[in-house]
Amino acid sequence: MPIIETHELRKVFRSVKRTPGALGALRTLFSREHVERVAVEGVSMSLEAGELVGYIGPNGAGKSTTIKMMTGILTPTSGDIRVAGIVPHLDRRRNARNIGVVFGQRSQLYWDLPLVESFELLRAIYNVPRERYLVNLKEFTELLEMGEFMNTPVRQLSLGQRMRGDFAAAMMHDPRIVYLDEPTIGLDVLAKEAIRTFVARINAERGTTFILTTHDLADVERLCRRIVLIDTGRIIYDGAIEVIKEQYGTHRTLVVELCDDEPDFAVDGADIESRAGTIVRLRFDRKLVKADQLIRQVTERYCVNDVSIEEPELESIIRRIYVEGYTDPSAALAAHPALPSLPASPSLPT
Amino acid sequence: MTLEETIEPYREFALKAFAREATYRVDVFTNLGSLILRVYLLRQLWVALYSQNAAPAGIPLHAMLTYATVALLMSLVLEIDGTRSIREKVREGTIATDLMKPIVLPLYFFSDGIGQTLFHSLLIVPALALSLLLVHIDVPSFTTFAAFTLSFIAGYAVNFFLNFLMNVVAFWTLETFAIQLMVRWASDLLGGQLVPLDFFPGILGKIVESLPFAAIYSTPLRIYIGELPPAAWPGAIASQLAWLALFGCASTVIWRAAERRVVSQGG
Repeated sequence: MPIIETHELRKVFRSVKRTPGALGALRTLFSREHVERVAVEGVSMSLEAGELVGYIGPNGAGKSTTIKMMTGILTPTSGDIRVAGIVPHLDRRRNARNIGVVFGQRSQLYWDLPLVESFELLRAIYNVPRERYLVNLKEFTELLEMGEFMNTPVRQLSLGQRMRGDFAAAMMHDPRIVYLDEPTIGLDVLAKEAIRTFVARINAERGTTFILTTHDLADVERLCRRIVLIDTGRIIYDGAIEVIKEQYGTHRTLVVELCDDEPDFAVDGADIESRAGTIVRLRFDRKLVKADQLIRQVTERYCVNDVSIEEPELESIIRRIYVEGYTDPSAALAAHPALPSLPASPSLPT
Repeated sequence: MTLEETIEPYREFALKAFAREATYRVDVFTNLGSLILRVYLLRQLWVALYSQNAAPAGIPLHAMLTYATVALLMSLVLEIDGTRSIREKVREGTIATDLMKPIVLPLYFFSDGIGQTLFHSLLIVPALALSLLLVHIDVPSFTTFAAFTLSFIAGYAVNFFLNFLMNVVAFWTLETFAIQLMVRWASDLLGGQLVPLDFFPGILGKIVESLPFAAIYSTPLRIYIGELPPAAWPGAIASQLAWLALFGCASTVIWRAAERRVVSQGG
């Protein structure tokens, strides 16, 4: 039985139309003109207990709105939602006992108090038995290396320390489901890695279900097997990362360092992605042309100092899906045996 | 869930608020200092006024000084606003994280206020001791003091709901500071913190005494200085409780509306 299930979930925000300027503000006071904005449009998904799913989409795609409905602080306009058998917005406080949340942008720790006192407070809020609390506290302190700042007031912690505290805080009551919203934003490489290791370990050892929304696709690549892509309120892909990598990750980049500036440099079967001085980046589709053929061609025609091949990162694959839209693999391959190449330099929807 | 489990978070909130207040030590001393200064200034003011005009509104000088000093001591506790954080939480959006917790939020604010109150109540002892060096105040009988305490607690609760209502407005307007300031000023003046309500002439006095603000300072203080005879106590406290019930109901209704606004509009 799925732990989280939504069916045709929809959320429409209705707000008073605002007119700019001082006079406009005055008019807003009296006008009853409303504008509607569809944030989530028919999202159906199902998560099994113990899954670790990346929920990905550009800003305003509807990620946070979906998560808010799952936490029960937002009522859906229509559709069904169940989290661990509970309809969250109808039974918010009961639902709250099953879930944990981590927001990279805001902390749930108590600013003026030493870190450990925030944990104490959370223990009381969730009525965690003291023995259980002490077990968790010990384990999290070790895993997240919080020992040295456990008694420091939260306002004096660095961002990395604070985030580690926030992760421990979210897990202190053994939630069955944890929502992570941009959890590694602004963190350095070491802190990011510490947190990723922590999540992977809790997921593996305790079977906690995680939903991760992030712009840092390295988080997703490291942690999730499954991703759900959402755009303008609709799910455009839901499945294994491997599948879209296989389907959309067929391009490679050949980086060539030439001996001289070659103004007329050109190769058959590959497009010049960019060039800076003597370094040329060539994009090719590995389904259409073999790398060794391409390299031979280049070395036969030009004097070359160095060559290397780069594999696409999940980020560029997802960027491509947002630009082109996702089509089902079987249908897509039949209709377009050669996938069109990517526009020159699309900006990643962030 | 057992009763103990239900109470556990709120007891903890109060304890943490108490601990938090204790960390701001400088605040404690400046508060105490400014209070003693005000006790002294008010004493000088009233003595000067009384030398011009003997016993205005029928209150003898010793009762007036008692009134002014006790009112200041009461303000140590009544100026605490546990619901002030609603404003910040709404503006910064952290109210959403609080709603994701298995707690009743208004009770959280109340517990936080209680914790702060308990800490500041401890200050009343040194404040009273220092005040006594500057001004003599009447010592009431045991029953009068008991009635005063009861009335003070009722007034405290009315004050809590008044603050709560003011701060919950933030869900609609985001900024409530101006409203807050106006209400604070009105409640200090019309509630009898600055001057006894007997000083308001004729019909104005009647109106002011029938306003809810009177329940906060005026009623307990009038019991304390003996202006209200024991026969009038039940009526006075009953009217405080009536305001309390009214404000309590209004707060419930408005809080529900505020929550509805968050869950339908996303805060």
